[in-house]
Amino acid sequence: MLRASVAAEGAGIPSSTLVCESFMTLAKAASQGLGYPNTPVAPVRGHPGLQSKEVLQQNVRELTLAGVIDNLLQPPAQATVGGEPGARDIVCRGSFEEVNEYFLAHELSDGLPVVPPTVAKVEAFLRYTDRQPDEVLGVLLPDNRAATVWSVAVNGVMAGCRPEYMPVLVAAVEAMADHDYGVEHSGNTPGGDNLIVLNGPVIKTLGFNYTQGVMRDGFQANTTVGRFWRLYLRNVAGFLPHKNDKATFGNTWRVVVAENEDVVAKIGWTPHCADFGFAAGTNALAIGRYTGGNHISSVSGATPEDLLPYIADAVVRQYSWQLMFSVGQGYDTLRPLLLLSPIIAETIAGGGWSKRKFREQLFVQARMTACQFERILRDWTQKPTWNLKAEHEAGRIPGIFHESDDPERLVPLVWRPEDFQVVVTGDLGRNSVYVFAHNGVLGFPVAREIRLPKNWQALRDGGDHG
Amino acid sequence: MTDNNASYAALWPRGPRQAKVKPLAKRLDTLDGKTIAWIWDYVFRGNEVFEQLEASLRARYPGVKFLHWDLFGNTHGSDERNVVANLPQKLRELGADAVVSGMGC
Repeated sequence: MLRASVAAEGAGIPSSTLVCESFMTLAKAASQGLGYPNTPVAPVRGHPGLQSKEVLQQNVRELTLAGVIDNLLQPPAQATVGGEPGARDIVCRGSFEEVNEYFLAHELSDGLPVVPPTVAKVEAFLRYTDRQPDEVLGVLLPDNRAATVWSVAVNGVMAGCRPEYMPVLVAAVEAMADHDYGVEHSGNTPGGDNLIVLNGPVIKTLGFNYTQGVMRDGFQANTTVGRFWRLYLRNVAGFLPHKNDKATFGNTWRVVVAENEDVVAKIGWTPHCADFGFAAGTNALAIGRYTGGNHISSVSGATPEDLLPYIADAVVRQYSWQLMFSVGQGYDTLRPLLLLSPIIAETIAGGGWSKRKFREQLFVQARMTACQFERILRDWTQKPTWNLKAEHEAGRIPGIFHESDDPERLVPLVWRPEDFQVVVTGDLGRNSVYVFAHNGVLGFPVAREIRLPKNWQALRDGGDHG
Repeated sequence: MTDNNASYAALWPRGPRQAKVKPLAKRLDTLDGKTIAWIWDYVFRGNEVFEQLEASLRARYPGVKFLHWDLFGNTHGSDERNVVANLPQKLRELGADAVVSGMGC
């Protein structure tokens, strides 16, 4: 709503933004990134979601009203923004401990020790990309900072990455800057975190884990690239807890998940990157934000028909308020993600099912009753009526959500079978599935190719030091 | 293995800010006779908050007029970018003098 207010201010129309009291710090931080640091806000007491109609009205009369009038009539205080160091400025000289204390004190660290980003270390990273150091990969809200190749290298050093991970880091930031992903929502209250899914020969070349414990920290490539993501969100996009990051609970960053392409090829399925238009064998990564997930243990059966009911049920159970990303706040932006362990995928494929058929069958079986779907939308939005029939008749959703007027009819979670994302990874010997709860428009899946430098092989062989 | 005597010259890890500070719009001298547009992200009972504000403002400024939030679309959903991009033109066309945007909660 701040972005709407500054759009009005830019057009010469004064605004007042209604902000809950606990969001005032966030509003101030976000306003600065939008170029209007003194955007006036009017307080909303407590949270409207927990107030009776009478209490809400009273709070508006007693507190919000005066703020709105003041915002629209009184000239705000002069806006000022302090200066900052330049990209190549040395901000601290000292021992490892002193550098880390400085970075902690200036909110530049995630709380774990960082590798001091020196010029020599940054230059080592820059050798692994053909991009120019000052090239801007995108501009990231809420701080509205340029995502430069240089800053990617600096934060990559800090996260403990190896220089040769640089092409992966660049692709990750390019994806982060994709408008469809919506990085500006990364500090919203559900606190979902990003997951990077990796494909291509770099998985093996760079030593990413793609088997047992694939989501566990402990593998340098998976772990440090995951950590890099959060550091970059913090230092360049500007998501700091208690400021622009308003996650109610939050969670730590996710390590990178690499797909088991050997198994994918063996069963004749397409890799995850193919869903984004990349041919099998392409180095690519896909990103998306997820609030959480659930391990579905011991999925048993000799045929895909045996396995599917358990998997479909697990998918349905993972989704409640997130249905608003299918119908509601983010129409047609829900993209559930499933990780299938290799022997599960092999069993499904062994029954003659392609990846496409698996998704089609999942689309048919992962359903809930229409009345349950509507009830969940009501609970989340507090809108007194939610009616899939009306949504369909208004042309906002497809007919599959209203094939009859029976409230007990089954409706899908998503609009079409290919909305389910399916990745093969994890323990080679265990029959498990992991289902992620996707955050829709607040982290829509996008992908980027990972471009290796022209002298990649020479660098890997240790023969080209620039 | 660590070198306790090592000294590091550490670089600034942030990117350069792109937004220049811009001036806010001139504030109004009164709300009487002015048109206020309600802009909503369709969550947290903004419609009820706007309703109460409308009643209270009308009591204090009898000539104030309002533009309903459904004229502008949802400012926080899959259509957010379009809605916000079209906002200045729409506000001008509808004769809005001021905007109240919610709900940041």
